[in-house]
Amino acid sequence: MMGLLRRAQSVVALLGILILAAIVSPTASDGARIFLEAGNLTDILSLIGIISLAMTFVILTGGIDLSVGSILALSTTLVAMGLTRAWQGASYSSHILWAILAAVAASTLAGALNGVVIASLRIQPFVVTLASMIGVRGLAKWLSRNENIDIGFGRDVAARFAEIFREKAIVIGSYVGAAALFWVLLSRTVFGRHVRAIGDNEKAAEYTGLPILATRIWVYSLSGLLSGFAGVLYAAENHQGNPNAGVAYELDAIAAVVIGGTRLSGGKGSISGTIVGTLIMGVLTNMLRLNNVDSNVEMMIKAVIIVLAVAVQRAE
Amino acid sequence: MESDRNSQPDLLQADGIRKHFGGVAALRAVHFALRTGEVHALIGENGAGKSTLAKILAGAVRPDSGTIAIDGHPAAIGTPLDAQRLGIGIIYQELDLFPSLTIGENMAIGNLGLREGSLVRSARLAAFCRPYLEQAGLHCSLQEPLGTLPIGKRQLLAVARALSMNARILLMDEPTSSLSGDAVERLFSLIRALRDRGVAIVYVSHKIDEIFRVCDRATVLRDGETIGTVEIAGTTSAEIIRLMVGRDLRMTVRPDRRTMGDVVLSVEGLTTHKLKSISFELRRGEVLGVAGLVGAGRSELGAALFGLDPIRSGVLRRAGVPIAPRSPGEAMRHGIGLTPEDRRDEGLMMSMSVLENGTLTVLPSMQRWGFLRGSREKSALAKVTDRIALHCPSTDAAVETLSGGNQQKVLLARWLLLDPEVLFLDDPTRGIDVGAKQDIYRAIDDLAATGKGVILVSSELPELLRCCDRILVLRDGQVAAVYDAAEATQEKIMAAATSAFGDRA
Repeated sequence: MMGLLRRAQSVVALLGILILAAIVSPTASDGARIFLEAGNLTDILSLIGIISLAMTFVILTGGIDLSVGSILALSTTLVAMGLTRAWQGASYSSHILWAILAAVAASTLAGALNGVVIASLRIQPFVVTLASMIGVRGLAKWLSRNENIDIGFGRDVAARFAEIFREKAIVIGSYVGAAALFWVLLSRTVFGRHVRAIGDNEKAAEYTGLPILATRIWVYSLSGLLSGFAGVLYAAENHQGNPNAGVAYELDAIAAVVIGGTRLSGGKGSISGTIVGTLIMGVLTNMLRLNNVDSNVEMMIKAVIIVLAVAVQRAE
Repeated sequence: MESDRNSQPDLLQADGIRKHFGGVAALRAVHFALRTGEVHALIGENGAGKSTLAKILAGAVRPDSGTIAIDGHPAAIGTPLDAQRLGIGIIYQELDLFPSLTIGENMAIGNLGLREGSLVRSARLAAFCRPYLEQAGLHCSLQEPLGTLPIGKRQLLAVARALSMNARILLMDEPTSSLSGDAVERLFSLIRALRDRGVAIVYVSHKIDEIFRVCDRATVLRDGETIGTVEIAGTTSAEIIRLMVGRDLRMTVRPDRRTMGDVVLSVEGLTTHKLKSISFELRRGEVLGVAGLVGAGRSELGAALFGLDPIRSGVLRRAGVPIAPRSPGEAMRHGIGLTPEDRRDEGLMMSMSVLENGTLTVLPSMQRWGFLRGSREKSALAKVTDRIALHCPSTDAAVETLSGGNQQKVLLARWLLLDPEVLFLDDPTRGIDVGAKQDIYRAIDDLAATGKGVILVSSELPELLRCCDRILVLRDGQVAAVYDAAEATQEKIMAAATSAFGDRA
């Protein structure tokens, strides 16, 4: 019952911000509120939403993943490199498929490496993912020789890829699909139950014979996978593979998870909370930008919202 | 129990000290009087309230009510600094020193005797420390990190530190619990030297032989009450044991002699970092008790059987087959289960629900097509909760909202669901109410009746006598004695556990 109330509370907060955004929205020449236009509403969802889903799992185990932004950069770089390289005799669709698979596989591997080091060497997740945040960024820059890899607007395979994957339906569909998958994973599977149990009390999990090592490795692998997938979408949206992409994304993802009520020390939290947290941050950003609020002021307002959201949950 | 020999007021007198932690009474109306220049033992079983009283006298814990007088004048001891000003020093069981700071820094930190501005000069520090270190018999450089000293010398440093704070009253909480033979001797001669110089020492312990070696008087606590104060010269260890354990408890009666089957677990020469050559056999339908003081190796026995501590030598056999579990998961596959002593830290996921906690050991069998079936989980849990009378508003309630007794039942339910052949219960009734205790005893009876082997660790001797067929007494990681239920008495067990009089098996 209390849980339901608390969840309702964050949904009410989201509705409040939505209404506020609609009221203060600038109007177009025909009198329509720009905020409410379909083209704008679909902008609310950013790639960070996808990353936040796996970040929820990481934080539920009591960990943190600072490397998601760098892994995203590695993925955009790899997918752009793959697409701009000539592949004689391959069809467009298999060329695109293999480029995406390679980028996502490399990202998943980077995440798995985080997990293996954290779980088997028992080093703090903060330290390990801080290191890979630096190292993977370096790898992305080194591979691309520190240059953007442009995806043109012509008729080649790269342009075709961008045309497909920057489609709003694909982006939003990916998010909805991933959110549903992760929601089921957390609430309806043995794996999800283990994730929460380990975060709630690792020692007790050990005394119950739970597979702590494997669960941790899986969680960081999933984080790498979703960051890599977000990187593919980033390349399409921006028509380039950019090794400098995704800077500070980890902080926005963590903010969305925390606003969604997931406990930073692990064990307690939900995917539905993270979805609400992501939407609150998204609507807020969109509202402030539509009203031409200075982006520096935007950061200050977000700071207040993060602390406020957690303070309200603490008071429960 | 004694007459006042002189009219001079006691150095320290505590009257009517009460303290509750949550709903549990740790101390109820405790009286304690300390004279100048004596070593006064504070003795009692685990949980009798000895450490709580010591912490109250040292200002680390505030009593709910009661008065403390020093030299006949009422004293308010609200904080450790107040205690220091009144000349009371304490040496905790887990030394409250800083291993990565130097010895000199450890002497200086929090020391009112040294507070002169905020800078401490090394020359002044050395001059300040030297006499106290010499008194404590320590010869070491002030620049060395404390961590380089062996534990026995750290104990001496803690004494030197207390002396440098002008302590007239020195409280020592289980000071020998982690010391070797030599270090114990050094500490005892220091204690005698301090007494001769007029320092009053409160010696908290449950080791009866030590009390007879260094103490002048002893105050016995039991269940948070003062039972009496005796002159050591005029008493015997048997008398003190009787005072420590002599309680009457109304209990459910144990079933008549149980029928036992084959050997379900045999342990031969089991040795780990804490255990030395332990051997015993456990039969189907048997409840084997494990008694011993804290630190005697009771929990470590569970850790070795359950794959948590590496086994250095010895053989475990499950139903005749040698096993060597290296993790709890492996032990579970061999049909061994364990409920840990500390249910909060090692047992339960406090923010997760009763249902989620209960089914954690059997989750894989709760799936259909890879998805957990809530209905299957609920019906599985319901089967065991009836057997142990688990009361909770709903199985969706978070475990942290339940009483201690019901939390323990959730932990037990988790293992009843897995249904291992051997279940090691580590002090399952610690800190829970009388009614819940009886429910757990009944669950233990049921397990034995269905042919399981149960190992029950407990600090409460009446509980072991109530539940067990045989009782294994551990001391210093070794088997000190084994008693049949028929021949065991609290006095015999306590004596074997403390080695007050020899009864080695």
